[in-house]
Amino acid sequence: MTQKEQRQHFQNIMEQHMGILHKVARSYCSNEEDRQDLIQEMMIQVWQSLHRYNPQYKISTWLYRICLNVAISLYRKNTTRENKYTRITEQTTQIPMEEKTSNEMQIILLEQFISELKEIDKAFMILYLEDKSHAEISEILGISISNVGTKIGRLKDKLKTQFSQFNK
Amino acid sequence: MNESEVKKLWQETNDKLDKTLAIHQLNTKELFQLKSFHFISSMKPIKFFVLFTGFLWVGLGVFILGNMFIYTLPETNKFFLFSASIQVVLTAIALIIYLYQLITIYQVDISDPILKTQKRIASLKTSTLWVTRILFLQLPVLTTFWWNYKMFQEWNAFQWVITGSITFAFTILAVWLFINIKIENKDKKWFKLIFTGKEWTPLMKAMELLNQIEAYHDEGKENFNQSHQ
Repeated sequence: MTQKEQRQHFQNIMEQHMGILHKVARSYCSNEEDRQDLIQEMMIQVWQSLHRYNPQYKISTWLYRICLNVAISLYRKNTTRENKYTRITEQTTQIPMEEKTSNEMQIILLEQFISELKEIDKAFMILYLEDKSHAEISEILGISISNVGTKIGRLKDKLKTQFSQFNK
Repeated sequence: MNESEVKKLWQETNDKLDKTLAIHQLNTKELFQLKSFHFISSMKPIKFFVLFTGFLWVGLGVFILGNMFIYTLPETNKFFLFSASIQVVLTAIALIIYLYQLITIYQVDISDPILKTQKRIASLKTSTLWVTRILFLQLPVLTTFWWNYKMFQEWNAFQWVITGSITFAFTILAVWLFINIKIENKDKKWFKLIFTGKEWTPLMKAMELLNQIEAYHDEGKENFNQSHQ
């Protein structure tokens, strides 16, 4: 593949799958500036890894691997990152509850839940919410399919607890 | 809230993503010219400086001590010669580990599965502990390099007790630290005291990540065992 073809290939991938980069960045980065840096870094890594792409995997699997690996590594490296999602306590929910719809509050709650997860769990959660099959999650994370099933069960329980606490 | 409702909620949050992120405007031509600040471990000038001064120190040490061994061995103070040699050798080993770690981190395949890649990166980062352990082994020789033959002829018992105690304490401390500086002790107070500060944060985080990865693997093993019982 010539460099021109490679560039075109890269641009096609980005156009079709930019959403993956945004979703991952959004889950790992609290502020927009960090998010932009992260997306840029993901794009650079995708470009630099393009020649290593193995067609035996779906392009989305390959992209998730790169994006999540970059996000986890940068997340760990960046120590000054602030957390946008303030903990929803009784105090903070009382006022917005009157102004925000239940749906908006649930979105905030979901975002908060994701932001509080550890790095690897966060990756797992994104893939679960994206409705990826157990087999694909297993390929992206590098764990067994049965382990994926167990982890999903645990995450569902955690989510249920989180939302039931809020509903109370 | 059931599973499909949560997933629907997630889709709604995605729909609200800011589509006007400046990155969209990024010209891909510019992107190809951009240099990655490297997501794993940026080669900051301080790292080059450490490597440069480290190798300069070792090179100088090898040159001076080598000349002493070859040309002036009979008249050289052996305490100094052997203490300095041990120090230079230990520094050289630490530098080689540090350099190997930096090079290997850059060779990690970012498109490998998450747990494999992250484990590799975190393990390499925690190998910094080896550098620290080896450098601590230098402690005893820092107390002996100035010793000389006159001391054995002229010093009284009190002077020897003081000097000997210091060297003995440094030796015990160095060996103890060499044995005990390991991931398993990362939550101990003394460990946190040594590895406190911004420069150690990546190391501490890497150890935390290794724990997470191990937890995933342990669960996998449990599942496997349960399904085969």
